Order: sequence, then C-alpha cells, then structure tokens
Amino acid sequence: MMKILSYRTAVIALVVLYITGCKQEEYQVPVPESGLQNDCIKKSNGPNMPGVDMEFMYAIAIQKSEGKLVSAQVEASIAGASETYIDRHSYHTDDNGQDVGVIVTEPSTNEGLTTKVNFSLDTNAATLRFFYRPSLASVDQEVSFVFSATSSNGQTVSYNMGPYKIRRMERALNISVADGQQSFISIEDMKAYNATDASSRSEAIDLVYLHRTIPGITFGHALIAPAADAIYRPGLILPAGVRRDAKILKAWNIRDIQLEPNVTGNNTFVYLDDEDFKSIDLQAAPNYAINMKAQSGVWIETTDRKYRAFVYLNSVNDAGKSAVLSIKRYRM
Amino acid sequence: MRKYQYTFLLILTSIFLTKCSEEYPIDEDGLLITTRTSAYVGSFEILGSDFQTVRTKVAVVDTVAQTIDVEVHFGTDLSRLYPQFSLVTDAKLEPKITGFVDFSNLASPLQWTVISGNRKIRKTYTVNLTVQQPTP
Repeated sequence: MMKILSYRTAVIALVVLYITGCKQEEYQVPVPESGLQNDCIKKSNGPNMPGVDMEFMYAIAIQKSEGKLVSAQVEASIAGASETYIDRHSYHTDDNGQDVGVIVTEPSTNEGLTTKVNFSLDTNAATLRFFYRPSLASVDQEVSFVFSATSSNGQTVSYNMGPYKIRRMERALNISVADGQQSFISIEDMKAYNATDASSRSEAIDLVYLHRTIPGITFGHALIAPAADAIYRPGLILPAGVRRDAKILKAWNIRDIQLEPNVTGNNTFVYLDDEDFKSIDLQAAPNYAINMKAQSGVWIETTDRKYRAFVYLNSVNDAGKSAVLSIKRYRM
Repeated sequence: MRKYQYTFLLILTSIFLTKCSEEYPIDEDGLLITTRTSAYVGSFEILGSDFQTVRTKVAVVDTVAQTIDVEVHFGTDLSRLYPQFSLVTDAKLEPKITGFVDFSNLASPLQWTVISGNRKIRKTYTVNLTVQQPTP
C-alpha cells in the first residue's frame, strides 16, 4: 500500500513540475505611464560644503503623443551662490559609458531661491544636471530642493530632494608655494603670500613653506610655524611682524578626494568631515613638520584656536623647491 | 542488559576524553604560559605621529647587552612615538605599549622587559634613541 502511495505521489509531483517548469513567460514590452513623469538622484558624494558643488540629475519625460517639455526649475530652501546653475545639456551614455551631452535648453537663470531653464529644443525626454553651490550663509544649516517641470499639455510634476546638511568646512585647491617666493601661508585667507605681502598680513600668517638640502639630515619639504625654533627653519628670514605660532601634526594616508578632485587611478580616498576637525586633539603637537612627501598632509590649529585645518600636499618638486597644496579648513 | 553495556561504554569514553585533555595555564593577561624559556627582542620599529617609520636605518638590537640603538630623523616629534617590538615566540612585553610614548627625555632612556613563554625569565632592554644631526 505504501509503495503504491509513494509511486503515485512521485508521478503527480513530476507532472506538476513538468507543467510549471516548462511554462514560458512571454516578454512584455513595458507600457509607459501616461502623463509627465520625473525622477531625481544626487550624483555628488561626500560632505556638502560651501564652494563645492552638489550635483543632481533630474530626469523628465512625457509620451511623444502627449506633448513636449517646456521648462524645468529647482527651488532651494536656501539660495545658492551665484555659481549655481542647471546645465543646458541633456546627458546620455554612449557605448563606451561616456557621457554625451546635447544642448536642449536656454542658459539657466537664478532668481532668489529658484534656478530655471526653458527648453530650446523640441524634446519629450531629458536628463538635466543641476549644480548647487552652497553659500557661506547656508553653513550649519540643512538645505532641501524641489525639482519641477512643465510640459506643453499644461502638466506639472515635482520631486523633493533633501534635506542635506551643509558643513562648516571650507576648502581652497591647488595653492602653489615655492621656497623664498610664495611661501607664507595664511589659514584665515587660505592663500600663500610672498615676503612683501606677508609683511602686510603678518597677523594672519600661520605657516611657512621651505625646502632645504642639508648634509647629514633629511629635511626636504617642510611646513613650519614662523615661531618655530630656528633650527627648524634654517636660513629663513621672516618678514617684519610674521611671528605667529601653530600646532602642526604630520599625517599620512589621509587622501581627501575633495582636496584632489581631478585625480585618476585606482587609489583609496577618504572624506574629511566637520567631526574630524572637531575631535582631533592637537594640543601636544609641535610647531613644525619637515621631510614632507607628496600626498601627505598636516593637521594645523592656529595659535588663536580660531581655525583647524588640514593642509594636503598634492605634489612636490624637489628640483624646483616648490609644492602644490590644498587646504580644508574648519572654523572653530 | 545490552542497554547497560552501552551506558557503561559511554561513561568510559567520557572519562577517557576528559582525562586526555591537558590544561595549559594562562597568565594574568589571558596569554598561554608555555615551556619556552627564551626572552629576547628580534627586531625593533618606531613610528611617528603619522604612523610612518622615523628610523634613519635599521635599529641595532644587542641581545647580550640588552640594548636597542635607534637613530631617528632630524625633526622627529619625540613626544609622540610608537615603538614596536618583535619578540621571540610566546614572550611578552612589560610595560605594555598601548599608544604613543614620550621619548623626549633622551638623557633617561626608556626600558621594557621581555618575559619568556614560561613567564620565569625576564630580560630588560634599554632603548637608546638618538636624533640625526646635520654634518658639520
């Protein structure tokens, strides 16, 4: 009896498996939704900060039979800097994965909180890129965006993005320094000065770049506070009034991609954030850093404790006794 | 009767298994105390605040004199150095290194003791640190 039952069960199971397993599902071409559609993603990564664009991709489409795109706009909760804009191009990727842009709108205009474009090309689908540059006024606040678009049949769609916290950090990229020339660095100004200009900004000079080749020791590229002991700034003549101190701590393997945005290659990067500057303890740090290498950096606290900063050496030139550096700064 | 035979066999096996597991003692750090009597430093490294080496050359470890001579680059921040000892198998170091160490008092070299695997041999090493100087 058991054998008969097992046999029957097995046959039924096989038949069911055959019927369900061999069922072929026909591919159905998706039916596009009717009406104006939109979608949005944030393309840029990392902390949002003044002077660094936040990039969004806004896709809008309507069926050809229903109309075409007329305009698109973005309303921010906090007005961006004047560099805020919507790219005139609609982008798609080619077979090699490269972005290909086609001009589809008039140049964008900023008015108050709103950035707007009108379509100049008859099109029923586009992906626009919006670049929002946070202003200093938005620091420590959260910003949100409402993306919207209109079509020729009178329809309007919108898409909310955010909120996004704007950090207190600021940055300055690619500051060229050279021994004996543009070598006096101000964290407050995020600039390098020559001796003459440094003398007139003496109260703001926190660092001096120098390069020395000294027999018996490895000195090379150095960042020192003007108040550092003379043995760490051999042969350096300080301009009148330049005498500030600073806490300086060498760092390695902190490669912030926001300080090296155009780098290529398979490297490991990090993002320094407000919290890193708030939490680092520099009280026991010395006031000099010598033998600096490319892609290394120093943490700095100004003597008035007004700023903490990370100075990154993008490149160094031994023969030219020069370097290119970038600064990320946090106002305490 | 057969049931009792199996129970008896099981008890015997349990006794055999537990009797054969030898207990190794552990020390106050939870480390195994072994029979090894060696206590020496194999090599020595010293890192700066950026966790990069600050040595100018390989440190000289003298296992007879129990000294480690190391020269660091000119300008090294001596108050924040991270020494690293490579020890013989099963040995341990005292005091423990848990972070940066202040070497700035060069007149008073720091000392660490290597303790053998059996925890009975103790050898104290002195780290003599010098700073690279410009050639006159």
